[in-house]
Amino acid sequence: MALSYRAATASSAEVTEEASVRAYIDNTLCALFHELSLPPAVGRPSVTLRRRTNATSYRINSVTGALEAVGPEAPYRTYSWPGSSASEAWRFTVIIRILAVIDEAMRTGQMISKRDIYYIDPACFRSQSVVDGVVDDLAYTIGVERAAFNVEAAGKGLITGSFILRQESQVVLDARSSSQDNLIPRLQDEDEIDIFGTRWILVVEKEAVFHRLVRNNYHTTALAGKGIIVTVSLIVINHLENVVNKNQGKGYPDLNTRALVHRLVIISSAENPRRPLPIYALVDGDPDGIAIMSTYKYGSVAHFHENARFVVPGLQYLGLRISDAAMNPHMLTNANLLTLTARDRRKVASMLHNSPILGVDGPELEWRVELQRMLMLNMKAEIEILYEQDGGLEGWIDRKMFRQV
Amino acid sequence: MSRQYLAWGSADNAHTVDIFSLAVTDKQILSASGAPSLKVHSTTETDFPLVQSIDGAHTLGCHHVVTDFKGARAVTAGFAGELKVWSCEDGYWAADQIATANLANVKVWAIALSGDGQYLAGVSQDGRVGVWDLSADGTQIRDHETKGSFGTCIDLSPDGRFIASGHENGAVYIFNTETGRMPFSLSGIVKPVRAVAFSPGSKILAVAGDSKVIVLYDTSSGEQIANLSGHSAWVLSLSWSSTGEYLLSSSFDGKVKVWSIDSKSCVATHSETEKAVWSVKWLPKNAKSEAFATAGANRSVAFYREATGG
Repeated sequence: MALSYRAATASSAEVTEEASVRAYIDNTLCALFHELSLPPAVGRPSVTLRRRTNATSYRINSVTGALEAVGPEAPYRTYSWPGSSASEAWRFTVIIRILAVIDEAMRTGQMISKRDIYYIDPACFRSQSVVDGVVDDLAYTIGVERAAFNVEAAGKGLITGSFILRQESQVVLDARSSSQDNLIPRLQDEDEIDIFGTRWILVVEKEAVFHRLVRNNYHTTALAGKGIIVTVSLIVINHLENVVNKNQGKGYPDLNTRALVHRLVIISSAENPRRPLPIYALVDGDPDGIAIMSTYKYGSVAHFHENARFVVPGLQYLGLRISDAAMNPHMLTNANLLTLTARDRRKVASMLHNSPILGVDGPELEWRVELQRMLMLNMKAEIEILYEQDGGLEGWIDRKMFRQV
Repeated sequence: MSRQYLAWGSADNAHTVDIFSLAVTDKQILSASGAPSLKVHSTTETDFPLVQSIDGAHTLGCHHVVTDFKGARAVTAGFAGELKVWSCEDGYWAADQIATANLANVKVWAIALSGDGQYLAGVSQDGRVGVWDLSADGTQIRDHETKGSFGTCIDLSPDGRFIASGHENGAVYIFNTETGRMPFSLSGIVKPVRAVAFSPGSKILAVAGDSKVIVLYDTSSGEQIANLSGHSAWVLSLSWSSTGEYLLSSSFDGKVKVWSIDSKSCVATHSETEKAVWSVKWLPKNAKSEAFATAGANRSVAFYREATGG
C-alpha cells in the first residue's frame, strides 16, 4: 500500500495542502459576502468548480506513484445564485453547505466521511452520489486529495461476540461465529437484539487488532468473561478512490456502528440497571486515537443534530497511553514508540483549541493531559506495541479491564 | 554515603492536570501545567501558601516556565506555540504586554532565561537555536542551525558564556554566546535527550533523557566526566544545587534522585509517586539547609529539605 510513502512525505506537503484548502474556502466565502453586500441587481454570488473528466484511461504518475486520469483538461463550471434555473440554485446551495462542513471539520480537526455529510441534510443533498460528486470536484478544483479536507471514505463496522440480531424473527446476524466478517447493518427500531449475558464491550480502533483478538477467541476466553468486540473496517469501495489516502486504516466510526454500540448499551442497562455493561475503547496513543474515542463517546461535528441519539457516555479509556508503552513492567521492549509528525502536533493543538470536550472545564481532563503528554514527549504509541509483551495483547487487556472495573 | 531529605510539605493539587514545569525565585515557586493558569506559591512559609493564580495565561496549557536570578522576570511557553513575558513587582506578577508582543513571531519549544533576565534562549521543533534580547525590543541576536532534530531542552550557563541544547535524536550542541561558534557537539547518546543543565560554576554540563543515564561533560573540553546510572525510566528533569555539590533528577516512573558530584553516586532516592515527575528544582539556598521541589503527573508541588540533624 502506498500509505507509508505518504506518511513519510506528509509534513511539508500537508502544510501547503491545508493552506490551499483554507485559501480556497476563504476566497470563496469572501467573494460571496462581497457579492451579497452589493445591491441585488448587481450582486451575483457564485462558486466555480472544475468538473472531473469522465476519463476512460488511467496511468501511474511516475513521480507520485499515484493513479491518475488521462484525458483533456477539465472544464470549469460556475454556479451562481439565484442562477438561471432552480437546478442551478440547488447546486449552488449544495456546494456552499458542503464547503461549510469541510470548513468546520478542518477547524476542529475531526475526520468526517462523505456518508456523514450526506446525513447532515438528506433532504437538501437528495442522494449520496451528489455529495460524493461535489466533494471530489472540490478536491479536484483545489488540486488536493480529498483527505486534505478531512473527508474520508466511509468505513464499515465489524462485530464479533455474544450478539444476535433478528429482523422480523429471522436471524440476520449471528456474531458468535467468528469465521467470517460480520458487517454491522443499519439498525431498525423494531430489530431484536440478544446479547446473552455479555460481560463487556470493547471498541477497537484498528481492524488488524480486531482480527487478532477474534482469531485468538478473546471474545470467549477473556478473564472478564464473554464479550463483544467492535471495529471499523476501512475498505475503499470505489475503485476511482484508489489514490493515496493518508487516513486509510484510521477507524473513525460511521453512523451505523455508533448506532449499534449505543443500542447495546441501552439494551444492557435495561436488562441490568444496577450494573451496566462496561464498555471500553482501545485506540492508538496518538491524536487520531483520542479523536476516534471521542467520536464514539460524544459524536462527530458532522452530526450535531443527531449525536444525542448515538452517544456512549459510559465509554472508558482502556488505552493506549504513552505510559502503558513506556512503563509497563511486562513490556519486553519499548523501542516501538514513534515520533509525532508535524500533522500530529498540529492536530493535537487544533483538538485542544476547538473541542469543548477537551477543555480544562470539560468532561475529559485525562484525554487533555494525554494529548499534552504526547506533545511533551513528542511521542505516540500504536496498539501493536502490546503484541510483544508478556502475555500478549490479550493478557494486557485482561489486566487493564480488571483494574478499571 | 547517603543523605536524608525530609518531606517538608506540599501544595496539594496545585493544578487540575499534570504540572510540566517549575521555576523558582528567592521567595516563590512558579508552576505551569496543562491547565490555562500559572500558580505562584510562597516558599518563605512552610505551608507554601498560594499567593497568586495567573488565570488564563495559556488557554491550551503551558509546558515551560523560566525565571531570572532576581525573580523580576519570567517567560512562559504555551502549547499553542506562544511565548509570554511576565514581570514581578513586590511579589506580584503581571503580564509584560510589550515584551510579549515583541516575541509574537518567535516559534520555539524549550526556553531558558539569562540570570539578568535580558536574554531569552530557545530551541525550536526543527532544532534551531536562537537568542533574543528582551531589552532591545526582542531582537534576535543569535540564530544557530542544527541538524533539524526536535529541540527538547535548552540551558544557558550561569556565567553567560554557553548555550546548550538537547535534541530528540540524542544530539547535544554547545554554542559560545560571544563568538556564536559551536565548539562542541557532544556525541555518545542516541536516544532522545530530555534535560540539559549547566553547573553553577558553568564548568559541567549534565545531560539526560531516554537513555536513563545522566552524563556529565566538561564544558571546556567536551570530554565526558562521568555517567550516573540508577534511573530505570526516562529522565525528564535536572537541577543543580546552588553550590554545585549535588544534582537533582527526576524520571517518568516517579523517582527523584539526588547525586553527589564528588562521589559520582546517588545519595538519595524518593519514590512517593509512580507517576511521571516532569520537573524538579532546588530552591535558592537559605541559611538553614538545602531544599528542593518536585512536580508532575500527581499534580501537586512537593517540597523536601535536607535533614540537618538539629
